[in-house]
Amino acid sequence: MGSPVPPGERPGYPNSTGYPSQRAFTPVPSDSAGALAGGMQNLNINRPPPPPWATQQAPRPGAAPQGMQNSGPPFVPAGSRPMGMGVPFTSTNPPHAPQSSASPLGVMPSGSLAARPTGRPAVRPAGPNYGGAPPVSAPNSNMGRPVTTPFVQRPNAPPSRPPGAMPVQDGLGSPFAPGLNVNSSNQGINGTSPFVQGAPPMRPPFSQGANAMHSPAGFPRSSGPTAASGAGTVPNAQRPLASAVPPPQIPSASHTPSPAPPNTFPAPGLAPSSVPPPPFAVASQRGPPSSSSLYAAQPWRPPSQQHNYPDSYVPPPPPVAGNQTPGMFGMPAPPRHLSQTIPPMPPTMGHPPGSGVLGMGQPGSPAGGQASGPSRIDPNQIPRPVPNSTSIIFETRSNNQSNLPPSATSDFIAKDTGNCSPRYMRCTVNQIPCSGDLLSTSGMPLALMVQPFALPHPSEEAVQVVDFGENGPVRCSRCKGYINPFMRFVDQGRRFICNLCGFSNETPREYHCNLGPDGRRRDADERPELCRGTVEFVATKEYMVRDPMPAVFFLLIDVSMNAINTGATAAACSGINRAIADLPEGPQTKVGIATFDSTIHFYNLNRAFQQPSMLVVPDVQDVYTPLQTELIVPISECREHVEQLLESIPTMFQHNKIPESAFGAAIKGAFLAMKSTGGKLLVFQSVLPSVGIGALSAREAEGRANTIAGEKEVHKLLQPADKTLKTMAIEFAEFQVCVDLFLTSQSYVDIASITVVPRTTGGQVYYYYPFSAVADSAKLYNDLRWNITRPQGFEAVMRVRCSQGLQVQDYFGNFCKRIPTDVDLAGIDCDKTIMVTFKHDDKFQEGSECCFQCAVLYTTVYGERRIRVTTLSLPCTSVLSNLFRGADLDAQFTYFLKQAGNEIPTTPLKQVRDQMTELCISILHTYRKFCATASSSGQLILPEALKLLPLYTLALTKGTGLRSDVRIDDRSYWLTRVASISASLSVPLVYPRMFPIHNLLSKDIGGSILPLSLPLSSEHIDSDGIFLLENGEDALIYAGKMVSPDMLQQLFGVQSVDDIPNNFLLQEYENDHSRKLNELVNEIRRQRCSYLRLRVCKRADPTEFLFFSLMVEDKNALGLSYVEFLVHIHRQIQTKMS
Amino acid sequence: MVFGEAEDGVRMSWNTWPATNAEASECVVPTAVVYTPLKELAQGAVLPYGPLRCTACRSALNPFVTVDFFGKTWACPLCSARNHFPQPYAALAPDHLPPELLPHHTTVEYVSSSPSASPPVFLFVVDTCIPEDELGFLKAALTQAITLLPESATVGFISFGAHVYVHELGFSHIPKSYVFNGAKHVSKDDILNYLNFFVNKNKPPVGIIAGVKDGLSAQSIARFLLPACQCEFTLNLVLEELQKDPWAAQTDARAARCTGPALSVAAGLVGACVPGTAARIMLFIGGPSTQGSGTIVSKDLSESIRSYKDLNKCAAPYYQKAVEFYGEFAKQLVNQCHVLDVFACSLDQVGVAEIKVAVERTGGLVVLAESFGHSVFKDSFRRVFESKDHDLGLSYNGIFEVNCSRDVKIQGVIGPCASLDKRGVSCSETVIGQGNTTAWKLCGLDKGTSLCIFFDIIPKELSGAAGQSNSNLFLFQLLTYYQHSSGQMRLRTTTLARRWVNGHRSTEELVAGFDQEAAAVIMARLASFKMEAEAFANLLQLPQDDSDKILKERFPVARLVVCDQHGSQARFLLAKLNPSATYNSDMGSPPGRDFIFTDDVSFQIYMEHLQKLAVQS
Repeated sequence: MGSPVPPGERPGYPNSTGYPSQRAFTPVPSDSAGALAGGMQNLNINRPPPPPWATQQAPRPGAAPQGMQNSGPPFVPAGSRPMGMGVPFTSTNPPHAPQSSASPLGVMPSGSLAARPTGRPAVRPAGPNYGGAPPVSAPNSNMGRPVTTPFVQRPNAPPSRPPGAMPVQDGLGSPFAPGLNVNSSNQGINGTSPFVQGAPPMRPPFSQGANAMHSPAGFPRSSGPTAASGAGTVPNAQRPLASAVPPPQIPSASHTPSPAPPNTFPAPGLAPSSVPPPPFAVASQRGPPSSSSLYAAQPWRPPSQQHNYPDSYVPPPPPVAGNQTPGMFGMPAPPRHLSQTIPPMPPTMGHPPGSGVLGMGQPGSPAGGQASGPSRIDPNQIPRPVPNSTSIIFETRSNNQSNLPPSATSDFIAKDTGNCSPRYMRCTVNQIPCSGDLLSTSGMPLALMVQPFALPHPSEEAVQVVDFGENGPVRCSRCKGYINPFMRFVDQGRRFICNLCGFSNETPREYHCNLGPDGRRRDADERPELCRGTVEFVATKEYMVRDPMPAVFFLLIDVSMNAINTGATAAACSGINRAIADLPEGPQTKVGIATFDSTIHFYNLNRAFQQPSMLVVPDVQDVYTPLQTELIVPISECREHVEQLLESIPTMFQHNKIPESAFGAAIKGAFLAMKSTGGKLLVFQSVLPSVGIGALSAREAEGRANTIAGEKEVHKLLQPADKTLKTMAIEFAEFQVCVDLFLTSQSYVDIASITVVPRTTGGQVYYYYPFSAVADSAKLYNDLRWNITRPQGFEAVMRVRCSQGLQVQDYFGNFCKRIPTDVDLAGIDCDKTIMVTFKHDDKFQEGSECCFQCAVLYTTVYGERRIRVTTLSLPCTSVLSNLFRGADLDAQFTYFLKQAGNEIPTTPLKQVRDQMTELCISILHTYRKFCATASSSGQLILPEALKLLPLYTLALTKGTGLRSDVRIDDRSYWLTRVASISASLSVPLVYPRMFPIHNLLSKDIGGSILPLSLPLSSEHIDSDGIFLLENGEDALIYAGKMVSPDMLQQLFGVQSVDDIPNNFLLQEYENDHSRKLNELVNEIRRQRCSYLRLRVCKRADPTEFLFFSLMVEDKNALGLSYVEFLVHIHRQIQTKMS
Repeated sequence: MVFGEAEDGVRMSWNTWPATNAEASECVVPTAVVYTPLKELAQGAVLPYGPLRCTACRSALNPFVTVDFFGKTWACPLCSARNHFPQPYAALAPDHLPPELLPHHTTVEYVSSSPSASPPVFLFVVDTCIPEDELGFLKAALTQAITLLPESATVGFISFGAHVYVHELGFSHIPKSYVFNGAKHVSKDDILNYLNFFVNKNKPPVGIIAGVKDGLSAQSIARFLLPACQCEFTLNLVLEELQKDPWAAQTDARAARCTGPALSVAAGLVGACVPGTAARIMLFIGGPSTQGSGTIVSKDLSESIRSYKDLNKCAAPYYQKAVEFYGEFAKQLVNQCHVLDVFACSLDQVGVAEIKVAVERTGGLVVLAESFGHSVFKDSFRRVFESKDHDLGLSYNGIFEVNCSRDVKIQGVIGPCASLDKRGVSCSETVIGQGNTTAWKLCGLDKGTSLCIFFDIIPKELSGAAGQSNSNLFLFQLLTYYQHSSGQMRLRTTTLARRWVNGHRSTEELVAGFDQEAAAVIMARLASFKMEAEAFANLLQLPQDDSDKILKERFPVARLVVCDQHGSQARFLLAKLNPSATYNSDMGSPPGRDFIFTDDVSFQIYMEHLQKLAVQS
């Protein structure tokens, strides 16, 4: 019972060889180009030999051919991680490369990469780099989360620390809340700027860090009292920081574990002389500033319990020359202050890691000397996400306490020490409010982002599979919660008390084990279900209503005139033909193919026949399946037929003159064929469904007219046109058919209506608009390949349970819900997140823990029935400031995003924009009111953990979802994407990363693949620069007008931007710049698990407008500038306060 | 008496007719003509020009006209109208008569000079719900048939089981078929839509009949119907890969077989593509229809197929609906001028009773056999395509018209034809068969096709106009316009003159003019036409009535033993019969017959014995 499966046999996804653990971006091979319809030859992105494949494809190691994969080391190189937000740890630190081989992290030999059949990956093999990672100790690697203050960092992380030895980020935060003084009345020291460095008396953050870091667990041991005593009073606290060389900085530099010698990062801008004084005062604000506040009355909890999230933080003082660790992306840079000081120079990362919170108001003169200059807000100094490039190791619990998870966008290696990895479940608050009142006062949402199949880091331990034999997993007999590390065994182990409902269960005899002196079962450490937050149980017959279904993939391809003419059909066929090679092998894997125009064409794939035969179902009002069997056959039996068929489909239909599309009927027909088994239905659709069941009308035109007429009901076009498709989708879900849509359209297709199907069936939508066979074929292939090879499950049912005191309020995501407690997922994969909201139905005791448990019963692609159980236990608190300290920015913003997505189809846009802003304001207001009472009303004080919330909120209101000038389909697509988006991708979706790519070889970048990203402000768009902006899905390239033709020639092979074709393909040329750019693009692809679609934005072209509309920090037609927005928020808060 | 079969393909029940009403009423057997329009005649003339017709009654020139050689006019014997001879007949003289005026040319055939009509279409409609071996036989037969098809012939292919599969033989990439739901009715309009005949074309708003004339491109038609030589490869491939219907029947149920919908689709296809031109739908079935319109029995095996008893008791729930469906179907075929042939091979019933109306109205062929491997089927099927001596002379698109003297009225026709509803003065008020018309459609006809035309002959004494010229003659003219198997359009005219008899010798003459064989055929047709369920019961009742009648005359009263076959009483009858097969004979039971349990010798053995004795002595 419960024996862990040996690693080698682990079915676990990513690390086991069965799955490619990352997504490979393989170029369209040149030889296949011919197979595509004419005009697609250009697909041959990478010219053949020597470097056969330009970096364009950024082949992920995981994409290695099967054989290669198998023969390769079992682990996957870190660099190939698809999910990581951060740069691979080490690529930035070549000097460490040697270490890499010794690194415990898996390293894939670069040779294996080079051997990829698709060509040498452009990207430097990630493995070695990975290995070269400096000890992963940088505590503050979290983007956007100022985990560490310099002070705390100093003591921790001695450079010699071995990787992984350091718990990442526990308790490192400084408790100080930086205050942003929005001081319109010259309150600042200098008095000249509205934003003055808040002079509020701030104490330096505790020095707890030192102790904390020395604790074996890496837990900060800072003393609570110290913290408390410092509460918001010591005015000098910031002085040392701001004034110059705060002692802490030195340590912080040293804390950078890897040498990262300063000279490596010359960052001229950082030269001391040029370093301006911190523009903002360091408003070091202790969490609960005054004991007079009801909520603030409780100071920091004892350190051991603290996650030491600074709830505010003091912007760092100007760095000292020589000291500074450049705020390089990719550096294990601790130094928030350093980057802070960087003047608005190109290479700077917008905002220093630590500066998170607005210490607004300190009269930092932006470009001035260190002395305080005229106070004004330097846009470079206000909070911005800070990328980090290092991997940190995160233990989910230590000392029987849950640890604050690192940012979802950072690169971390989670060690499951009782709680599940934050990849699987991430709560909006990491301390659960004891009462509903406290929660509502805080203004924060209580929600869980559940991503049960999230792609783990390659270095993470795979999820262990536990087989309880025929009795099945041990469960609470009352609430049916699954056995987990937090169930408490009592009475010599004879009974156990459920941590969810409190019921005392009898321990099954065969599961009995004596307790040790510590009260734990003696076998707790050997049993994954008793020591891991995530385990998988083998499901018994009891969990099956039928035999587990086979992995069925049914491909449905649009062959209507438009699809043929645009090359969409050819691209789909070619993509499928290549991707099916990667389908999981085995008799359980079956495929079927159909095409459609105004009729549906099925194909009999019976291998007994010489060739496949076509069966046309013309009745698109009343669909049926033409054959009972033979439409879906084991891939092992029909591979030749399938290949032959896919090759001939574009030819067979090349003269098709049928413009209509019977999309609804086609999916229904395919569904009927799959009904007996269930499975995945992948639909390639090009035009608006115009005939048959679920036909739609081009109501977009109507929408335009309404918009012009000022009609208020415009948002109705974001709702499905009618219920036909919804009804169908529910039926699909019931029979376990999951639909994914690949929309290769060049016109309106009414995404709002058709995406009801994937959204109800646990599917996904891919949108290629306007489709170009030249530019999009490679992406289509890569998307498809990832779709079918990523970790996934079928016929799943998910339920989230929580401790008594809370109850599940609702689920949000792509699923079908038939009963209130469960969601049905015809398909679930690693990219899908389901948000679960909770409400209180009782109170928790201070000091108790609240547990969330998500159980997903599903069938693997190999036909095994499993229950994946993820458990997260969080402390409860009745102190408001603790709530803010434990707030999770990524999760909260993801909540915002999903909330907006929910509202948009039913509410006028402006109203939603206001709602989102209000949501943000009310949280900040609460904080201001109850946790920062001591500070002057002229200051905008942001909780450290949420300091980026205003920026993201602003970006959200200016983004595709909420701006008014967006095509209806684009908005609908955005809504669909948001519905299942993970916490790690939601931020980039609204606040993309922008990289300068004209100086990739400059020393600033050092060895890192990714240069520092720039704030999204047009100030940073130099006229002689070229910029790449990416949001996880699309990438835009913009070249300034003064850009040197030579650079263009090197990067794009042309002399002028205008010569770059619209359907542009990135190629690798024989020069370092080009190679570097390809590396960069590939790296991003890897991180995003998505094959970026690259577009060139040209001057005096609508694309230029598009590019600049993404400069969300600018003031433009879409709204306020970032600074103005902060002022706006501040005023609103002030209004509320008074 | 010349009955005219050899010359004209005509037999009449009465070749003379009483002139008086009293005598006429004594003639129980109706006056009728059995006419075989395409009979190969000993001396039929084929004339390479069109007929000269009476301007009044449209009758064609015939040997019975009165010719005025000087005025170059002729008087129509049927309506007495006077007509001028046109220029081509200028040389007319008593010794220089055109063939159609020669006395022995009562039947002539005119061949139109207009170009040949389109070649015939053969649309095979194949049931796949049959055992593998049967399917094998059928495939072999079809494969062979394809090779026998005339080169110009066009073919199409439909298979069906639970669904209907229309094979697009013109699609060369891979085998392709359109699938129609077997549980649903498909109209011709649906076919036009579903098969994409009007892609990129404006569909005519109303009144679509279709075909090339109505906007279908020849290309689009050629997707489904194309010359055998062009699609032989595809067709053979389709046949080769034809499988038993994949919607395999449950063991406890009949196969889902949608014969009705398959026929609808077939009719829709030819109706859409080639309306009004020669086409045969050849249906091959191996069991009863169980799905869609025209179902004759449910799939549930516990329910047995309707028997005559059920029909009698109206206990056949599907029967009436099926008959209605096939009736409508027949109308559609007639409108389109298309023929339905049925080849049914099964040990059990297949529902011909319901389907037959469509075959009859269109002049199709029916072949019933036990198996597709049986020679009855194989040989019959081969004969259909044979083009040598024994060919069936399959012809198409026939229109049959009757003109007659005023004293003759037409009651109707019994035979493989459909009324064209052309009413006229010649129509009798009494209707037998397809009546109330003087013209009929024969979608399909062949050398053996014969029609039985019933006349109402008004005795001379009653018909006022009678007795003028040709005083005691009454005339009929039978015109058959059709597409010959060669593709030519032809018109055959047969003109018949018969006499009234009167006076003391009339009975003798009447008897002499009575054609017993013709009368038997006519009566049989009449009986079978009238025969429905009750009619059949009456037929069975007849011997009972006869025996009752006989018994009443016997004394002592004879014992009546009803010997039902296989009944225990059957031995009484069998014992009285010539016991050529007994339990002693080594041949075993002859098919369809029984052993006779007797030690009596058979007539043959008795004769052998006599021969032996005679030789000995």
